[in-house]
Parts: sequence; C-alpha cells; structure tokens
Amino acid sequence: MTVEVRPLGDKCNIKCRYCYQEGIRTAGNVPTRYDLDAIVATLDKLAEPFSLFGGEIMLTRRPDLERLMRLGFDRHGGVGMQTNGTLIEERDIELFRKYHVRVGISIDGPGPLNDARWAGSLPATRRATARIEAAIETLCREGMPPNVIVTLNRMNAAPDRLNVLCAWIGFLGGLGVRKLRLHLLEQDETEAGEGLALTAQENLAALRRLRRLEQELPSVQFDIFAEMAAMLGGDDAQTSCVFHACDPYATRAVVGVESDGRLGNCGRTNKDGVTHLRAGREAFDRQLSLYRTPQADGGCQDCRFFLACKGNCPGTAIGGDWRMRSIDCPVWFGLFEDIETERLANGQTAISRSEHRSELEAKMIAAWSIGDNPTLHSLLQQAEAT
Amino acid sequence: MNSAGPTCWLTWPRPPLAATPREPDAAKATAQRISFSGPQARALWQPRLEPLRHAALAIELEMVRRKRIPATVLWTSYDDIGALTERARSIGLDAKPIKASLGYAADWSLEASIDDPKRLLDYAFLIGAAPLDTSIAEPAADGFEQTAIRFGYPACCAKSWADHLRRGGSDPLAGLLTCGDKTPVHAHVALAVLGLGPVRHAPCSSSCPATRERSHEFIDLGRELGFAEEMNWLDEIADWAVDASLVNGIAEVTTAAYRCTWLSDEGMPPRHGAAATRPAKRERAAAAIAKPADSADILTEIGIGFEAAGFDNPFAMRSRFSTVVWEQTAALRRAASVVHVGCGEGLLLELVSQTKPRLKLYGIEQDAAAAEAARRRVGASRPILGGSSIEALAALSRLAPEGIDLAFVDPERLGDREALAAVCAIAKSVIVIGTDRSLYRHNDIDTLAATMGLALLPGRAGRVSAALSATSGRPH
Ligand code: SF4
Ligand code: SF4
Repeated sequence: MTVEVRPLGDKCNIKCRYCYQEGIRTAGNVPTRYDLDAIVATLDKLAEPFSLFGGEIMLTRRPDLERLMRLGFDRHGGVGMQTNGTLIEERDIELFRKYHVRVGISIDGPGPLNDARWAGSLPATRRATARIEAAIETLCREGMPPNVIVTLNRMNAAPDRLNVLCAWIGFLGGLGVRKLRLHLLEQDETEAGEGLALTAQENLAALRRLRRLEQELPSVQFDIFAEMAAMLGGDDAQTSCVFHACDPYATRAVVGVESDGRLGNCGRTNKDGVTHLRAGREAFDRQLSLYRTPQADGGCQDCRFFLACKGNCPGTAIGGDWRMRSIDCPVWFGLFEDIETERLANGQTAISRSEHRSELEAKMIAAWSIGDNPTLHSLLQQAEAT
Repeated sequence: MNSAGPTCWLTWPRPPLAATPREPDAAKATAQRISFSGPQARALWQPRLEPLRHAALAIELEMVRRKRIPATVLWTSYDDIGALTERARSIGLDAKPIKASLGYAADWSLEASIDDPKRLLDYAFLIGAAPLDTSIAEPAADGFEQTAIRFGYPACCAKSWADHLRRGGSDPLAGLLTCGDKTPVHAHVALAVLGLGPVRHAPCSSSCPATRERSHEFIDLGRELGFAEEMNWLDEIADWAVDASLVNGIAEVTTAAYRCTWLSDEGMPPRHGAAATRPAKRERAAAAIAKPADSADILTEIGIGFEAAGFDNPFAMRSRFSTVVWEQTAALRRAASVVHVGCGEGLLLELVSQTKPRLKLYGIEQDAAAAEAARRRVGASRPILGGSSIEALAALSRLAPEGIDLAFVDPERLGDREALAAVCAIAKSVIVIGTDRSLYRHNDIDTLAATMGLALLPGRAGRVSAALSATSGRPH
C-alpha cells in the first residue's frame, strides 16, 4: 500500500494541461489550510511508510514539511516525495539528505518537450521546466538521484520527437538517474480540447522504442516494463497499483491522507471534480464485470492477459467511466504480447500461456466475488503444487 | 459476524424478486459501498442513515401488521437471526427463512471462517402474519404481477416489474433506465438502493404518479409513527439531483452527498455523455499548443553549439545553464543587468530572461554565426556583441557606462587573465560557470577556480556556479 500525504490536496503551482487533478481544481475543491496534527495522528495510526504528495507538496510551509519528513525518517528510515520540482530551492537539498527523502520528479523532457506541463504562459512554462532540470541535475550531483516520471504525449513522444526524448533519457542516465516511470497521457482530459494525447499506435510505438532504449542503457530502468514482465511471470509482489485490481471506491494500493487527516482515495478516478471519501468495503465489481463483458462493450472477456492486466487503471477507463477497461488497452495488450514472446523464447513462463490460466482465473473470480483479492503469486503456487 | 452497523436490511424492490440475482443482498452491498462526497457530506448524512433505516423498517413492519401488505423480506446475518425473529414476534408476526447467500469476506470473523461456515452467510426472512406461505416471495412467472400488487406495487409498476422479471431482469434500476422516460431518476431512488426511504417497489418510470402517491403514504405513516425528523429529511432529499447509470452490469448512483455502487445482473450499453455528473470537458485556456516542430528544430531550440560551449550534448548544456540560473536566483533577483561573456547561441541568456524578463541582457560572442543565432534566440533588443572579448567588453562599457550587475563567464573559455580582469572591471559581480569540460578536468568548481588562481565565495561543494570573491581576478 502506498500512503500519500496531501496536506494541500490537489493544490498546485502549475497547471499541466493533462493533469488528472485539474477537474478537482476547476471545481474549486482544493483545501486552503491543513491540520498537521490530524495528519500526523492518521499517519501514526496507519504505521506505514508514506510519500509526500500533492497537488504540489513543496507548496507546504517548510517547517511543516520538515516535520513530516522527520516523522518519515524517524519511523521508517526515510520518506518518498513526489514533486513537480519547480519549487525546490537550494536549502531543500540538505533537508532531503538529512531525512532520507526519496524524491520523484515529474518532467516530460527538456525545454520544449515539457511544454504540456503548462505554467500559464510559454516563458513561465519554460522557466518552470528549467527549474525542474536544475533540480534533477543538482540532486544527481549531490548523490541523491531522483526518480523521474515522464508522461508520454504529443509534445515529447510524437514520432518526430521520440528520438530527442530517448537521447535526453540517455543524458539523464549519464547524470545518475536510475529509475524512470512512464505514464500514458490521461485521454479523457485532452481528447476533445488540446490534441495532446498520442494515438494508441503512437503510444505503443513510443513504449516499444523506450523498451529498446532500456536494453541499450543498462543503468536506466523503466518501472513499467519490469512490472509487466513480473506480472506475466506471476510475481505481483512488487508491481504497482495498476496491475492490482484497483477498486476506485476504496483504492487499496493508494491511500491518501488529506488536509484534515481523513483517509482519501487515489484521485485518478475523480473525473467530476469531487474527491469522494473511501467506501467502507473494498469490492472488485469492476474486475468481475470486465471479465465477463465482451471487449466490444468495453470489457476484457477472453483476453489472455487479464490475470496480469485486469483492465488496468480505472482512472484511465474508456470514456472516463471506471466500469470500462483502460482506454490504453491496445498499448498494454501490445506490450504484454512483446514481453510474452520474449519470455517464452527465453524459456521463461508466461501466465497468459500457462496451462493453469483458466483455473487461476476461476479462482481469482471466486475470490473477488466475496470481496477477497489474493495475490496472483499465491494462486499460482497453489496451482503448481497440485 | 461484524456486529457494528445495521443488523437487518430491507430489499429493494420488495417481492416479487428474481430467483438468482447477482447480488441477493444488494441493499447491504450498496450500503457498504457508500462513498461520501466529502467530510461535510459525511458528517451530515452518515448519522442520518441509521435512523432512516430504523424508520423504514418500522414503517414496513407496521404495513405488514396493519395487513396493507401480506409480508416483507428482510436480510440478516446469522448472529442477528434471533433478534429479528424476536422483533417480528413482539408485534405478532412470524419470520421464516427463505434463502441464504454468501456474504463478503470483509464481514467474516476468523472463527466463523474456520469453525462455523453458516455464520458466513446472510439469510433472507419472510416476515408476515402466521401462517406464512414462503412461496409468495418468489412466485411463478404468471403470478408476478398479482404478487407485486399484494406487496404494495401500484398496478402500472406491478405490470412493468412483472414484465422485467419475465425478461430475466432482476434490478429495478435497469427497469427505470430502460423505460424510455427521460425524466431524471427521482432522488428517493438513491435511498431505495440502500433499502431505505419511501420508494419500496420497482417504479415503472421516473415520473410515475402512482409511485409518488405511494411515497406520500409511506411518509405519512412515518409521521404517524413518530418519525417526524426522519420524514423531514426525506422531504429534503426529494429535491436532490440524482445521476444513475448501469454499465456492463455495474450500477452506480451519484448524488451531491454520496455515490454508491453495486453489482447488478443487468448490463446496458454505456451511456457516455448522458450522465449529469459525468465530466463536462473542461474549458481550456485558449493557449493553443504550438505545432510540434520536427527533431532538428527541437534540437536547435534545446541548444546548439554545445561543443564550443564545453558540453557533451545539448541536454547537458541546457541542464547546466538551468542549474546555474537556479543557483543564482538570489543574485538575479538583485540584478538589473546581466552579461554572458562567451554566450554562444544565447541559451543562458534566454533562460535568464525567462526568470526575469525585465533584466537588461547583453551577450558577447566572438563566433559570428553563434552570435547571430543568439540574436535570434534572445531577440533584437538584447545586444549581442561580436569581436574579441576585450573589444566587446570595451563596447559594452560604452553601452552600459554605469556598469553591469552580473557577468557569467566560463573562465576556461575566456582564456587569459586580462580578459577576466576586463570583465571584473565592468561587472559588479562575476559568476563562474562550470562546464562539462571544466568539471571533468577539475572535478568541482572550487578546484577549477583554484587551478586558475581565482577565489570563490563559499558555497555548496556540488554547485556548478559561484561568484568570484571581491578581489579575485581583479587587476592588481
Ligand atoms: S485509480 Fe489507477 S492510479 Fe489510482 S490507485 Fe487505482 S490503479 Fe492506481
Ligand atoms: S490488455 Fe486490454 S483486454 Fe486485456 S486485460 Fe488489459 S485492458 Fe483488458
């Protein structure tokens, strides 16, 4: 479970054109103050490692931020932090070092490649981008290389820009960045307005190119490919939320600690500007429905990758309706196919081609029906033992 | 079983029910899946749900007791069967089990899971006057309509619900959404799905007047039984806007206070765009995205001339200059004029101008082509001076006789000490920049400076730029 501490909710200093939180901000649902004691009390109760999150976490008053960092360090030996990087200042570097802050920075590329992360005007956007680039270089030079989160979109991964993006990632690897997380642009925010989203074919081509790049750059790892390979291998211990049968009413993998200390859901499914509170019980209705719904109707029926993919993130569902499969299905399917082919060629197993697949699916469906969500690994072990 | 929370649940709709709905105890499942729209909505409405449940149950049992309806159906957990039957007996009614269904793992205690599987089930009881004929809850297909009327349905709704059941349906929401009536679903349906409120039956349409009539009767009886406050809440709720939809067998009801969902037996084509609270596409700022340029243009924009400037690639140059600007934020804030000596094609100047657009900016670049590129990058109003550094600095003194606040230099590129002295003569503060070339050679900026006989103001060891100390590099 990832615990995301969000003192200022979705409040942010920039307005990425594609950000999933823009709906919340547009609706005016951002807190203006927070109750740090309540937040700390909730963190005490949860007793889980946590990440500092937003909106933009660096908008938090520094003494309060330091208190949270100290708490993470004292209790868990460190704390994660997800930031757009624009507000990091030189004095923050020592805070990061002192409290073992694992920084993740979102940037889609250098200079013009990051223009989708809009800061109000072109000069302001470029200024913000320059600050992010500076933060990454500085953290690397200070021996604390950040993880970098890149969202693929037309500004950075259109066919005529992809080579530039790849070359920049090579540069980041040289600087010391080791891990990159790739996101696909959330289509529902952009499909009508701004044309930032790549087509499914372009996304797939971009991800395939980046996968080849990963093999060329041994020091750089894109989380997503390793996770997909792990899922196909039936090992879901370390993989991220999108592969874990997410329930948008009670996101298990991501729990937000909000400005008043209450528990919140992952906001990626909040399409109407409302941050709904967590439901009392987790359920797997989406997965049960996707499993039996034909693909033509937005389901995943008969997809051999269902155990690994599960329809992916409900925040990326077709039409913004969490009940549908991910709009990025063709991308996931294509990549799973590539990885499956390679695993089989290398003599590794792929759950999608396993003789146990239908038995595992039946067990998973039965478990979801009573509100249980066993790991794929545990089911596979049972199946292989019998 | 988890003893906290409600102990029994009314069904929605009341019988006749489908034989094997996907979620038999749908009201319980739905109530467990309430997701409030915020802390205030939860603070207001969560405490009201239990009294509303209590009122609905009391009204329902009173209807049975007064023989307005022959019976009703209640779901309960194994541990609460005793309390339920006792309650029925206390008002002269009988309770008979009619079916059981596996509940949810989250509700199970560990002991029950291991020792006592019957405690994992939820049980449906028919409650009515003895002798109770349990078949009335699940009649044969030809008896649906008549049974519905006996259980309190208006004739129009009894007919439509009977038709729906005969078509294999089981979810009253599906009936409502497919009936062709474009009137928004009535707010009381958002309570009905939880087994609460005045809509007991499956309405034939959202605008059904007979349903409205039945709701009034329910509320009147509630008031008669002393549930005045609860009935006032129902009146308040009646004005809520409700969005209801059923997609691929999952139902969802959304109100301003909460949303809830359940697994329905019924699927419908997605209703994209139709739902009231589905996101309207956000109106975006008019800022249109510039048409992406091709790779070559983008590389030019990112930064050319990196080799001459002492960098491995354009990304390194942009990143370093960005870092220099970031490190010198405070100095730039104080400055009114800046020069970059050896400005190449002007990237650092551009980054500086983005940080503080009103600064007076000057560039000095010996390479004519690079100087021209710099002019294009930073604009004609910012002088880029050509010729040797010494000549250009002399020209700069004439252009800015009051001096320059901040000068950026790569001392290696500047070459001789005489040129550095000339920079120091015109600039109030000189910032030394570490390039890839100089940092590879000297490892850090302090070593670079020391090797060149320069003294820097103290700072972070890992910095890539630093101000010369007041005397360093000045002509002796
Ligand atoms: S909505 Fe998507 S991003 Fe959020 S927890 Fe679920 S799978 Fe993860
Ligand atoms: S690849 Fe597509 S069809 Fe298959 S499980 Fe994933 S989203 Fe569903």
